Amino acid sequence: MYRAAVIGLGRMGSTFDDEMTRGGSIFLPYCHAPTYMASPHTRLVAGADLHTEQGAIFGQRWGLAPDRIYTDYRDMLAAEQPDIVSVCTTARHRAAIMKDAIEAGVKAIWAEKPFTISLAEADEVIDLSQRNNVSIAVNCSRRHNPFLTEARRMAQEGELGEILQITAYAECHISHNGSHAIDTMRYLVGGDVEWVFGEMESDEEAAADEDLKGNGYLAFDNGVRGYLRAMPTGIAPWEFDLIGSEGRVRSLANGTDTQYYRWVPGGLRDEGLPARAPFPLPLSIQGTGLSVMDDLVAAIETGSSPRCSAEDGRKALEIAIALRESHRQGGRRIDLPIADRSLKIHSVEIGGDALPARVRRLQQATSAAR
Amino acid sequence: MSDPTFRAAVIGLGRMGSTFDDEIKQGGQFFMPYCHAPTYAASPHTELVAGADPHAEQGEIFANRWGLDQSRIYADYRQMLETERPDFVSLCTTARLRAQIMIDAINAGVKAIWAEKPFTLSLAEADEVIDLASRKNVAIAVNCSRRYNVFFTEARRMVEDGELGEILQITAYAQCNLSHNGSHAIDTMRYLAGGDVEWVFGEMESDDKAAADEDLMGNGYMVFDNGARGFLRGTPTGAAPWEFDLIGDEGRIRSLAQGMETQYYRWVPGGLRGRGLPARAPFPLPTTIPSMGLAVIDDLVHCIDTGNQPRCSALDGRKALEIAIALRESHRRGGIRVDLPLADRSLQILSSGIAQDAVPARIRRLRAQ
Repeated sequence: MYRAAVIGLGRMGSTFDDEMTRGGSIFLPYCHAPTYMASPHTRLVAGADLHTEQGAIFGQRWGLAPDRIYTDYRDMLAAEQPDIVSVCTTARHRAAIMKDAIEAGVKAIWAEKPFTISLAEADEVIDLSQRNNVSIAVNCSRRHNPFLTEARRMAQEGELGEILQITAYAECHISHNGSHAIDTMRYLVGGDVEWVFGEMESDEEAAADEDLKGNGYLAFDNGVRGYLRAMPTGIAPWEFDLIGSEGRVRSLANGTDTQYYRWVPGGLRDEGLPARAPFPLPLSIQGTGLSVMDDLVAAIETGSSPRCSAEDGRKALEIAIALRESHRQGGRRIDLPIADRSLKIHSVEIGGDALPARVRRLQQATSAAR
Repeated sequence: MSDPTFRAAVIGLGRMGSTFDDEIKQGGQFFMPYCHAPTYAASPHTELVAGADPHAEQGEIFANRWGLDQSRIYADYRQMLETERPDFVSLCTTARLRAQIMIDAINAGVKAIWAEKPFTLSLAEADEVIDLASRKNVAIAVNCSRRYNVFFTEARRMVEDGELGEILQITAYAQCNLSHNGSHAIDTMRYLAGGDVEWVFGEMESDDKAAADEDLMGNGYMVFDNGARGFLRGTPTGAAPWEFDLIGDEGRIRSLAQGMETQYYRWVPGGLRGRGLPARAPFPLPTTIPSMGLAVIDDLVHCIDTGNQPRCSALDGRKALEIAIALRESHRRGGIRVDLPLADRSLQILSSGIAQDAVPARIRRLRAQ
């Protein structure tokens, strides 16, 4: 059993699963504390959060004594010596906390996305984790979704023929939930992005460092081309379309439908018809968080790389930044990797992070009651 | 409505001029009659009176097939124009000669031209033809024929009537050379998006292809003036052959597998956080499925009567070419955004339809036998 602790006791650290009423893109347990409670590999031993209200709720919910809740995560790391830490704070502090956790001797980190704010931060964390042999899993969780995992297997084993195109319709800010969209595109394609072209929602947004929406064209090193629409997608919410020469998989409506196409005889001039076949159902569907934990424990015990690694987290950020650079530079193709490591995106969720959303709501309720 | 029957002639008596419909076994992308001679033979508005082709073998087959006396088949189209004085001419030759023939036909006094695609090879040619046609009041319909396909016209009607909400995205998977069949793909994107392209980014299949003037495959990103964005994949599309996906905030239409299936989506209650689920509803079936060729002729007759522009006009044909060239320019210039219109009107794409056009494909096959 690994001793697990959560840093950042808000929504993703604790109660996100309560909001979910149906599966598809994720299956429960999904977020951090519920996963540590359910996993046979872990025991939840402590939490840390600057905001005492968050700590109190977390302690009660997960049955931790008040003395296992810390306001300073450094105190927690020193006193509890956890094996695994979750970093569910605002992304603003994620890099510093990951570094402190590595220095404190943790075996593994389960980090929320985006991985970091800047490329330099990402480089630093990856470098330090490699030197200290610490496994980092980034929670771009679609890599643990059984439908997308099966799609990836089909692509890797050649069942879809040559992979040609990945299209994603995913309205999002390109760092915040864009890290999911971009990472899933890379995962399904099984290649890496060589260059991009991007258009952001406006010149002003592109000029600033705040998170933003945009579209992009991605050229992968295995010949695949990608199109990402992260501007509003209307009636095509969160869709991934993986097109090969022999088959095609479409994940629709936030993962609630998965379609599979193969050629059958027929069609104009007998060139064949793409026919919809049943998508292979998984034999079982495990909670997404439990799959992350299995993966991370395997990484600790065998030295394997987590399925969504720190490198993957950095790639998603770098691609998002390159898309914005493309717009900033007047609309031109941008090659990866990016030389300027100081570039960053203030992931949209760090807006208003001086006070967590739940604490803001609690304070509003209290003042309204007065 | 004009009562008179218009005298129609075909220039270029090969596949599109005469026998293309014989190859087609299923509807969807095409509804018959589709190509030129069968349409003139079937339309109540037209009488097929003559044909012209420099290759005598083509003329002979054409005359036999469509019941024309050999005296109505001309080796020189100029002579045909002068002798027959047709009201309608179809331009089904290689695109290499299209602009010159259109100019000659306009000067010979035709009322309407039904031109194959691509409209021209160069932008300068397109400008010249359009300028002359508008001065002489000649209607030109370009055969980017999905505009005359009832499933696409219904989709466009739904866009115009706001039934799909705000149009956000048009995606096309259409393996093609960008000028040749790309003119279909690009024109259909414009037709469905209901806006015009302001700028593009394009990637061609190779630097060598992009540097040359030969027709080529490529992909592109298009920014429309109504806020819609377009993605065209003209490089190989594998299991997604000829697909158009039109996404609005309230509805979506997907035309799949060369028009053989049309899907329609609307929001229904449900979904994650109660934000709704996109559900597939039946796409409205047309009450009749008109022949696409007859729809072109109806449109042209209407334009002759009213002076209106055809549904797929010469302006549309020029736009499709200009967008294809802009996509290639984007690649040529190292992968940058290219704004429309293009200043350099000498730019051209040698449509893949003109390769080996010294001898038509049918003649080559006949001689090989």
